[in-house]
Amino acid sequence: MKLWFRSRRDEELDEEIRAHLAMAARDRLERGETPGDAQQNARRELGNELLIKEVTREMWGWSWLERFAQDLRYALRQMRRSPGVSVIAILTLALGLGATTAMFSIVNTALLEPLKYRDPARLYLARTLPPARAKLGRDFPVNARQFHEWRTHCRSCEDVSLIRFLDLTLVGAGQPVKLLALDVSYNFFRTLGIQPAMGRDFLPEDEQDWGKVILTDTLWRTRFAADPSILGRAIQLNGESHTVIGVMPPDLHLPRGTQWGGFSGPETDPLIFRPHAATGAQQARPAGSLNYSSMIRLKPGVSRQQGIEELNVLLADFARDFNLETSTTLIPLQDQMTRNARSALWLLLGAIGAVLLIACVNVGNLMLVRTANRYREAGVRLALGASRARLFGLVLKEAFLLVGIGGILGLGFAYAGLKLFVAAAPVDLPRLDEVGLNWRALAFSAFIIALSTLVCGIVPAWRLSRTEPLESLKAGSANSSEISRKLRFRELMVSVEVALSTMLLVVGGLLLFSFLRVMRVDKGFEVGHVIAQDVSFVNPKYSDEGRRRFVEEIVPKLAAIPGVRFAGAINVLPLRGEDWVSDLRDTDRPEPPLDQAALANFRFVTPDYFKTIGIPLKEGRFIEPKDQDRPVAVISERAAQHLWPGQNPLGKHVQGANSEGKNPALEVVGVVGEIPASSLERTPPMTVYEHYWRMQPVGMSFVLRTESNPATVVSSLRAVFSSADPELALSPAQTMEQIVDGSVAARRFQMYLAVAFALTALLLASLGVYGVISFNVARRTPEMGIRIALGARTMQLTAMILRQGLRPVVAGLAVGLVAALALGRFIATELYGVAPNDPWTMSAVAALLFAVAICACWIPARRASKIDPLRALRFE
Amino acid sequence: MSGKTPARYQNRIELLQGTLDMLILQTLRRGAQHGYGIAQSIRSGSSEVLQVETGSLYPALHRLEKQGWVKSEWGQTDNKQRAKFYSLTASGRKQLEAEHTRWSQMSVAIARLMKAREA
Repeated sequence: MKLWFRSRRDEELDEEIRAHLAMAARDRLERGETPGDAQQNARRELGNELLIKEVTREMWGWSWLERFAQDLRYALRQMRRSPGVSVIAILTLALGLGATTAMFSIVNTALLEPLKYRDPARLYLARTLPPARAKLGRDFPVNARQFHEWRTHCRSCEDVSLIRFLDLTLVGAGQPVKLLALDVSYNFFRTLGIQPAMGRDFLPEDEQDWGKVILTDTLWRTRFAADPSILGRAIQLNGESHTVIGVMPPDLHLPRGTQWGGFSGPETDPLIFRPHAATGAQQARPAGSLNYSSMIRLKPGVSRQQGIEELNVLLADFARDFNLETSTTLIPLQDQMTRNARSALWLLLGAIGAVLLIACVNVGNLMLVRTANRYREAGVRLALGASRARLFGLVLKEAFLLVGIGGILGLGFAYAGLKLFVAAAPVDLPRLDEVGLNWRALAFSAFIIALSTLVCGIVPAWRLSRTEPLESLKAGSANSSEISRKLRFRELMVSVEVALSTMLLVVGGLLLFSFLRVMRVDKGFEVGHVIAQDVSFVNPKYSDEGRRRFVEEIVPKLAAIPGVRFAGAINVLPLRGEDWVSDLRDTDRPEPPLDQAALANFRFVTPDYFKTIGIPLKEGRFIEPKDQDRPVAVISERAAQHLWPGQNPLGKHVQGANSEGKNPALEVVGVVGEIPASSLERTPPMTVYEHYWRMQPVGMSFVLRTESNPATVVSSLRAVFSSADPELALSPAQTMEQIVDGSVAARRFQMYLAVAFALTALLLASLGVYGVISFNVARRTPEMGIRIALGARTMQLTAMILRQGLRPVVAGLAVGLVAALALGRFIATELYGVAPNDPWTMSAVAALLFAVAICACWIPARRASKIDPLRALRFE
Repeated sequence: MSGKTPARYQNRIELLQGTLDMLILQTLRRGAQHGYGIAQSIRSGSSEVLQVETGSLYPALHRLEKQGWVKSEWGQTDNKQRAKFYSLTASGRKQLEAEHTRWSQMSVAIARLMKAREA
């Protein structure tokens, strides 16, 4: 390797030596030698010109680069000497490095990188804290009146904006379609610091003068063929005319669903934005429903604490007049968005990091085997004057070559892996759409390559560079104490691998058992053979009365579809989240103090709903058709126990949902089983069921119980709806099985990854065990030969090898289990129904690991016992 | 670990390094000199006892230059031969003093040892 900046110096050196020769020759000439002799003798006296130049060049200090290239070439030759091992090592490393890089990219994007809005550190979500005495144990969204107070008065806030989900049905652009919309205050985009790509942002007057909308890029492209003349056009939403005033840029990256902090929310991106009516917020009750998210941008230089204090002062001012007792807090927008995924992601990154570490230890072990054959060579080199540092560097460069190639391949794996991950990941993972290999991921990749090089190479390098020339050159193999020291070290490495695998297996096992527990949770209803169809009556042509009529007429038609046994309807299906949450109260008693306040989910059902979905009746009766005009309710068992512990709840009175202003007391006529609302893992909320006649939500879910596979009735059921109203936007029907499945998607995904990582770790560790035992057996071939010749039986030899092989495994297993116990509390939040120190998981892991280790030892042990004594003795 | 560099040369350098450096610096005290001249003056100054190998001389000169103890300049000899002239720097002078002291101490110590042996 010649470098351009060396050439001038090289020329100078050439000239310097030439001058030396010329002067020496001239001296000889003057002393009387013939010109020919003088030249020749001067040259002879000088010595090997090339060598002089080379040694001199080394003094310049540039030659490390040359040396580096030379060492790399040498390392490459070493690798080619055992191509199979090298390929395995490189592939292992590539997978480990690739998976770790991919996982880091995800963690980095989701948790570390600032949100892609203007100055995102100043963005917060306001949350309502329940009074300290009320044991509700969580924070809530805000109500419209709080928002109004803050927006009008807050001096610490640059912008206070309001967000609420909304369904809008778009008619007149292809098939009628239900669009997820955000109902926002005019300053929503301003708060985030985003501008429309086309047209204008909302203005304050748009909150008064209704009927303006802004489209997302997706909606503009899919429904309006990216028509550039869309601005100013009128479109039909919910049967009303709206004017398009803007189109947002394609990469919005807005928080989704519950990332806005609500109890429930659609896990898809909103498609359209509409201004929220300001008058609504002004007139909202001070104690109104906590149905809104409020995003606040604080002014520069205002701390979170100052912001919280001012919001609370404002809240207190107006709350005093109404005798309210709430306070508020600000949660950084990013924290709120990543709240649910944070610990799971860190756990997975830690797990894959441990897999990489095991892979590196394995490669280090392989290199140790390889260097073991090179002690003599190293001895010769040292004897010839090579420096130990150079030998050390040489081995390190071999490691670097393996890890480097693995790392480059790994980037390919990471790229492909990220694509797969994004496709397979549950949708509620924050910022999934932004995940990619960016410069931070590349820097991280370089960092772990360097680290892995050290882990792989430092021990073999240290070993080889400490070779004693004399010892290594002695006849025969290296001395036995050296060998056994090396062996002990390799056993230690095996222990480390086993310990790490144990920990990963425990984590994987705990998550697996948690998942199984979750799947076995009593769902409270019969999941099979039920199909659900969501319908929203957002079109204003549906009055309260119209919705009632629609439900009343369509349910018998649905039930009449061939193959359908029962049909019913409810406002919110099980596992679709907590919604319609309100006070649970016995109307015959005075309003309870705050610390005894309880919340219930309110459901509005058709009489056949219970039968259709299979909720068991515990006491009394279900809601019946005759209840249309009677104030009755069916409540869940926990609600009954909470209100009337130890008493008969039938005939008692509970406050109904439509309590704003009115105070309807409902007679409890029945008690039913518990139904999970947000997740199978949470205790089902207390629930109050009312006849749908009493309340007509704009969204209803129709459920059908079928004789056989529910998918067979999908087309007939959709035909029933379209013939009732062709403008109805129908989202795809889902079976209850799919809904249950979707509710555990995140846990299943995490479990799959953790188990996959743990099994990879187990495979790598067993390779490590196998390698060490094989090496040990090969080394002791002559000894085995003698033992066999002296009459040792196969079983004895096998047992001996097994005993030796399992020693480091048992040590590693013990350390791993202890570490897993110690670290258990960090993953406790990820578990369900399983303690972090679950003895069954621990025993299962220990048994599995032990069994695999025995297999790994068995193969070389068998080989040892089959040794032909004659050949073995000639081995040396 | 280069295959091209025989250990012979490196060993020589290591062996002679301190002494050769000192001798070169000492020679340059009398003024700038080129490599050939330095070798000649060490040889004649030691009455032909000390032979300086070219293979040690140039690496040593380049190393001393890198250390900043000598500096080099292209110039002409009396015979109009273009050559690289080395001269002492201030820190080179200091280094020479230090080496001289060390050398005197060592030679006294060695001499004492050898005498003790004789006695």
